Amino acid sequence: MRILLLLILSFSSIAFATEDVIDFESKKQEELYRVLVKELRCPKCQNQNIADSNAVVAKDMRVKTVELVKQGKNKQEVVDYMVDRYGQFAHYQPPLNSATLLLWVVPIGFMLLALLLLSRRSINKEDGLSVAPVVEEDDELKALLEEANVDVKQQKGNS
Amino acid sequence: MNKKILVTATPLLFFIVLLMFLLKGLFSDPKERDSALIGKSMPSFELPDLMNEKVIHSETTLKGEAVLLNVWGTWCITCKYELPYLTKLRQEYDVKIVGLYYDQNHAPEFGQYADIPSIRVEVVDMTNRLGNPYLYNILDLDRTLSLNLGVTGAPETFLIDKNGIVRAHHMGDVNERVWRDKLAPIWNEMN
Repeated sequence: MRILLLLILSFSSIAFATEDVIDFESKKQEELYRVLVKELRCPKCQNQNIADSNAVVAKDMRVKTVELVKQGKNKQEVVDYMVDRYGQFAHYQPPLNSATLLLWVVPIGFMLLALLLLSRRSINKEDGLSVAPVVEEDDELKALLEEANVDVKQQKGNS
Repeated sequence: MNKKILVTATPLLFFIVLLMFLLKGLFSDPKERDSALIGKSMPSFELPDLMNEKVIHSETTLKGEAVLLNVWGTWCITCKYELPYLTKLRQEYDVKIVGLYYDQNHAPEFGQYADIPSIRVEVVDMTNRLGNPYLYNILDLDRTLSLNLGVTGAPETFLIDKNGIVRAHHMGDVNERVWRDKLAPIWNEMN
């Protein structure tokens, strides 16, 4: 079991092993580059960032990212540069607009709905409304049981 | 009673919505992307002709007439299947087709250089065999124009109107279905 786990872990690291060695002027620029290549999405691939992809377009985007970062562009400027060319698809963090509104609103809506239902339920219990039918059913049940007892006695008497 | 219907109907409703969502996914093309360039003008560029590096093309070369810009390469297998149909478009519908040659191997930052003379030989050989739809080919060796156009690979096709505005962007090959359903309506509107 341990060996299996070790194997799985050693394979998973391969996906993150494509790191290029680039000389940046400052540590800050290098950090920005690392963040950007993880957040920018390869437009050719189904679901990979440009750091993990070896597609030609992902390489080109990495090269361009280096160039832009070295020019002193900030994160938003580089993201905008790619989004202007490859569309919103190229960025893993969708902004709030008419197309993505549902993504943001639906989870919040669900939570509010759940809260509403929960609070309604507890109010009902406090009113004691849900207790009343149980008593009625109890009476019915008693009547049924008595009837059944009579039946059993009768059957015993017959046999 | 109403409450009971609501309680039974909610999971069913939820299921139907989920079913429709998944059904839609079944028939959608995962490679389909909204192009960011539609309605914008062609990015500016200055690139040599594939066959003669002394001839320089720029965005002004493309202006004046509507063109179909086809991103391709001899290494790309789908492009091979596209050549005869594009040739037919040129001959039968008089579509002006310009090639943007996309080379995969050229990457100076990784020490890889494209062999231009052998690309020329391959291009001549392939277009002789399968048809030559191109008026001329622009050589985008370091893929800067391709990046500016939002090209993700080859083949890809753009329709550019006479004012140099990008009107359509198609990823994948152009065949009869794609031309009829997607590109021809825009092409006819442009001309």
